[in-house]
Amino acid sequence: MTQTLESVETAQAASLATPWITIVWDDPVNLMTYVTHVFRTYFGFSKPEAERLMMQVHTEGRAVVATGNREQMELHVEAMHGYGLQASLAKADS
Amino acid sequence: MIVAENDGGVRLTVEPVEAMMLATLAEQVDTVLITDGDPALDRLLPDAYRDDVSASREFSRYTREGIVESKRRAARAVRDASSIDDEQDDPLTIDLVGDDAWVWLRFLTDLRLILAERLEFDESGNSQADDPEDALLGAYEWAGFIQGSMLEVLEAV
Repeated sequence: MTQTLESVETAQAASLATPWITIVWDDPVNLMTYVTHVFRTYFGFSKPEAERLMMQVHTEGRAVVATGNREQMELHVEAMHGYGLQASLAKADS
Repeated sequence: MIVAENDGGVRLTVEPVEAMMLATLAEQVDTVLITDGDPALDRLLPDAYRDDVSASREFSRYTREGIVESKRRAARAVRDASSIDDEQDDPLTIDLVGDDAWVWLRFLTDLRLILAERLEFDESGNSQADDPEDALLGAYEWAGFIQGSMLEVLEAV
C-alpha cells in the first residue's frame, strides 16, 4: 500500500511540474509582418527570432512561442487573442 | 490614403471619403463585437484549449469580457479619429505614436478577420467571392494595405 501511495504522489508531482506551452496557429488572414511585429513587441524576441517563429507558424501551421506554468500561458493566450492571433495553450507533452 | 513616418510614429493622410469608410467599418466592427452568436466572434475569440471544451469555457468566462472591451475600445478610437463632418473637403491627418499605432493595428486585424469570415475564406486564404468589384473584398484588401504600410513604417523607425 505504501508503495502505491508513493507512486501516486510521484505521479502527481511529475504532472505538476509538467510545463505548459503557448501555441500560435497559422491564420492566412493575418499579415506575416504583423505576426512578426506582435512577437517582437509582446514577447520581446529579437527580429531574427520573431521572424523564425513567424515562418514556422506559416510553413508548419503552428509554433510554440512560450513555455511556463499554466497561469502564465493563459495570460499569453489572452494577449494573443487581443492581438487577433489564433493561439491556444496545452501541456508541453501533449 | 498616404501612410508615412512622422516623428517616430505613423502619419495617416486620409481622404474624406476614406475617413467616412473607416468610421463606418469601425462602427460595424464595434457592433459585431456585441452581437452574441455572430460567427465572426469564433475567429476573434478562439478556443484557448483545443481539446478541452470545459477548460476553454472557463477561460472564456474569465477573459472574454476584457478582450471584447479592449477590441471595442480600439474600434471606437478608430471611429472617433476618422469622424469628419460632411463639409470637410481636405484630407484628415492622423498621427499615431506608440500605443495609438497598436490600437489601429489591432483594429485592422479584427476588421480583416471579420471580413474574412464574411467572405468565407477557406484554409488557404482564398475567398469564395473573387469578384474584384466586391465591396467586402475591396475593404479587406484596403485594410491589409493600410496595416502593411503602417508596419513597414514602424519596422523602419
